[in-house]
Amino acid sequence: MQPDPIFVIAAALAVAVILASAATHKLRAPARFASQLEDYQLLPQALVRPVARVLPCIEAVLAFALLVPAARQVAAFAAAALLAGYALAIAINLWRGRRDIDCGCAGPQQAQPIRPVLLTRNAVLVGLALVASLAPLSRALGVFDGFVVIAASAVALLIYAAADGLMANSPRLLKLIGR
Amino acid sequence: MEALIVSNILLWCLLIALAFAVMGLVRQIGVLHGRLAPAGALMVDKGVAVNEPAPQVTAADRSGRPVNFGYAGEKAQLLFFLSPTCPICKSLLPAIKSIAKTQAHRLDVIYVSDGDMDAQKALIAEHKLEDATYVVGPEVGMTYQIGKLPYAALIDNTGVLRAKGLVNSREHLDSLFETEHLGSATLQQFLHNSQHAHGAHNH
Repeated sequence: MQPDPIFVIAAALAVAVILASAATHKLRAPARFASQLEDYQLLPQALVRPVARVLPCIEAVLAFALLVPAARQVAAFAAAALLAGYALAIAINLWRGRRDIDCGCAGPQQAQPIRPVLLTRNAVLVGLALVASLAPLSRALGVFDGFVVIAASAVALLIYAAADGLMANSPRLLKLIGR
Repeated sequence: MEALIVSNILLWCLLIALAFAVMGLVRQIGVLHGRLAPAGALMVDKGVAVNEPAPQVTAADRSGRPVNFGYAGEKAQLLFFLSPTCPICKSLLPAIKSIAKTQAHRLDVIYVSDGDMDAQKALIAEHKLEDATYVVGPEVGMTYQIGKLPYAALIDNTGVLRAKGLVNSREHLDSLFETEHLGSATLQQFLHNSQHAHGAHNH
């Protein structure tokens, strides 16, 4: 069954904005991102700097490609793979028992240690990217469809930001109530 | 059909507004967590006793004007001891500035720091303290025997030291004014005094 284009385009728009914001955070503070990447201890030392430089560029390109209808499907698969890769990196470090490293998930104000709940967050994002990769039903789109797409992705992004904030707050809350 | 479209648009707008409100709430909780950060161990300190006349000292502020500490004057003085190298000091500056603003009619806030002048200038520019009285030099800190930062001392308008202490959070700052209000140097002393008074009342 083919989904309505509204779902696909709204999902693509939301993933594009999330990737673009992630890319700008990383490009604005390359040194911080490089040290976060180093903390994950997944790459040989020589590769850390080049990868830290290339990853934000890939994110930015994918964000842009998601908005181009012709490239949407490929870009959405690539974005899903990238987000799944991040989840894998977190999972490996959780499995190693290194729960004290900074996730580097959101901006500089939201430093948070890696926790299993972050895997859920990435799973949701991968799901969103996979929705964006589906081939939509072809139908003519009007102004109202455009409005619904923008409104839906705006709500999705705001709720994502709120959920991200709640996740960043929860370790601090646990510390406050002494657990 | 028309009514359905209108209702749909209205619902989307309200949903966006609601999502904004939720995000705002989450951000505010984050700020509160930041303000409630662990305070650190308090210590018993020596130096000038509370409720005694404050030591009198004069030092030049950043622009060379003399500033009197511990003299009787029109307004009470809040001395905030800080350093550009102390991150907690910086996180307290917004609270200090808001106190300076709301209590301007009865309180002069004086920032006392020591060390590298360039770092001081950067701190002043970053936190917009250009108009504040900002003293750089070791004299005041040595007179008041300040060992730890951020530290604050409250001197009333008769030149008596009313409260002092290590301030790690806004709560600690507020407790300085509470101390002034209660007239006791420490909470323990206040409890002791009030128990005493209570006991006397019963007899």
